Amino acid sequence: MSNPMNTVARLLVALITLSAAALYAQQPAPAEKAAATPAAAPAPKEQPRWMQGRPAEMSNSTLAPIAPHLTGRPASELPISKLKVPPGFKVEVWVDGLPEARSMALGDKGTVFVSNRNLKDIYAVVDRGGKREVKKVLKGLDTPNGIAFHKGTLYVAEHTRITRYDGIEDKLDSPPAPTVVIEGLPKQVGHFWKFLAMGPDGKLYFNIGAPGNIVMPGYIQGTISRVDPKTRLMDNYAYGVRNSVGFDWHPKTKQLWFTEHGRDWMGDDMPSDELNVAKSKGQHFGYPYCHQGDTLDPEFGKNRSCKEFTPPALNLGAHIAPLGMRFYTGKMFPAEYQNSMLIAQHGSWNRTVKHGYNVIRVTVDDKGKVLKSTPFLEGFLEDPKATPPTWGRPVDVLQLKDGSILVSDDFNGIIYRVSYKK
Amino acid sequence: MQIAAVLFFVPAAGYAAAAAAVPPQAATCVACHGAGGNSVNPVVPSLAGQPKQFITTQLVMFREGNRKNAEMAPFAANLSNTDLNELAAYFSAQPLVPPVRTLHAEKTDAGRLLTQQYFCVNCHGQTLRGQMHIPRLAGQQAEYLRVQLLGFKAATRFDMDGQMSSAVQALTPADIDLLADYISALR
Repeated sequence: MSNPMNTVARLLVALITLSAAALYAQQPAPAEKAAATPAAAPAPKEQPRWMQGRPAEMSNSTLAPIAPHLTGRPASELPISKLKVPPGFKVEVWVDGLPEARSMALGDKGTVFVSNRNLKDIYAVVDRGGKREVKKVLKGLDTPNGIAFHKGTLYVAEHTRITRYDGIEDKLDSPPAPTVVIEGLPKQVGHFWKFLAMGPDGKLYFNIGAPGNIVMPGYIQGTISRVDPKTRLMDNYAYGVRNSVGFDWHPKTKQLWFTEHGRDWMGDDMPSDELNVAKSKGQHFGYPYCHQGDTLDPEFGKNRSCKEFTPPALNLGAHIAPLGMRFYTGKMFPAEYQNSMLIAQHGSWNRTVKHGYNVIRVTVDDKGKVLKSTPFLEGFLEDPKATPPTWGRPVDVLQLKDGSILVSDDFNGIIYRVSYKK
Repeated sequence: MQIAAVLFFVPAAGYAAAAAAVPPQAATCVACHGAGGNSVNPVVPSLAGQPKQFITTQLVMFREGNRKNAEMAPFAANLSNTDLNELAAYFSAQPLVPPVRTLHAEKTDAGRLLTQQYFCVNCHGQTLRGQMHIPRLAGQQAEYLRVQLLGFKAATRFDMDGQMSSAVQALTPADIDLLADYISALR
């Protein structure tokens, strides 16, 4: 990425956003231009957004995105006993009735906050002696997928802004009004939902996805960016990231690890979704030029080389859709789990034989090298060729104070708990 | 556009009796959507035979204000998730009685081509009967379909992740008329 800019004031962000928005408004995708001639001959018309980038030879595909059950589904109606965890571990339903449960954040006093993407609410789950009480604490937000909790404050990343709710854990029944940390982020048509996490440097990290499947992103799009909640200054941290909806910092090295979804419509097995590590600020991870570290994009890869970009630490599989991930630092699980990653994989739609819909564990060394990847939570996938192929879709993982792990499932609005006993 | 279709409607009473459990709220719905969710009003959609998840998704979105409709909003506002799941289960189980329509053969061919060119069949299925959260189109009321397509084109109709709005941007007014007629006549 040329001309890296260290610090961008809010005003500048707004300006960039406006010009970027104008640019996207004025420049239709290539497919639109092709279809702009009125009364065109029977050629494919402009493609829906999720089909953008699909070649003609795949035009008979009937692959369609999968959507959550927006009312949630009660655990009592689902085959929970099919879930599998490694020997010694136990998986159970922690709470249900949270429609479209997405990202999770743990309050200082043990409250579990849970976000929405299509819906507009933030839930608070309070554990009262083994009985979980669910409250809708925030309502009417715009795509509030990203949440983070730090020193008494809940931060929420919506479509175009990040806000803070100070002291919310003491006021769950009458939550405070939001204070804006940053606003004027791009209002865009694709990948507009955000993941949010507090970094070891006290800055809030969030993704600004590419505004489509395979398109040229603007300067602050296709990035992981960060904002200092004290100064409200923002800068880009990582470039060439199509969309990351899960990241965390290695407990020892403090390096940023993140999951990333690869582009669609290059076939069942291409390209792989990625697990990346940003060892320093300013690295470029390839999008839209290079995918999975070794494959130039058929359109955008001309005149580029994959050697220009930071390759993934691990290729996870095509369309497997890795989302939330955290390093395990608790005391409950066996010692080998220390500092290994648990990654929720939402599962594929852009693949004739579906895979994913699980949680995996990835072990890495202190140098950023991946040692191994093993299944951790499985059993959602029922029939890889059915529509839908699964009865649940993991989104995020969260470690509780006792060292057990929560896994959210937006398809059903359920949170599962995985615990271990010797 | 001239509708070169012969077009008339048959009352669809008698199908509601097919269902075992009729949720109490359904009485309100059928006042407009017709007995068993088979609409006889060209601007009101049939609910019969729609995928269950499509009905729940739309009712949630009416309730949350994402899908805006002055007639539907007050009804949806009072529905709990349990209520709307029951309604969806009921209406999705009712057999569809489509409006009786006859299209000229050339319109049928042209309409079928449009559903392929515009990728309708990719998500709604080759027979346009819907799946998961994606609605059945075949046999739906034509005027309703037309209004939805115009709404998507104007980006005023609720749309999960903007997929339909982007799908219809290249549709001409003539395409929309033909698609609505063709799809409505489809069985």
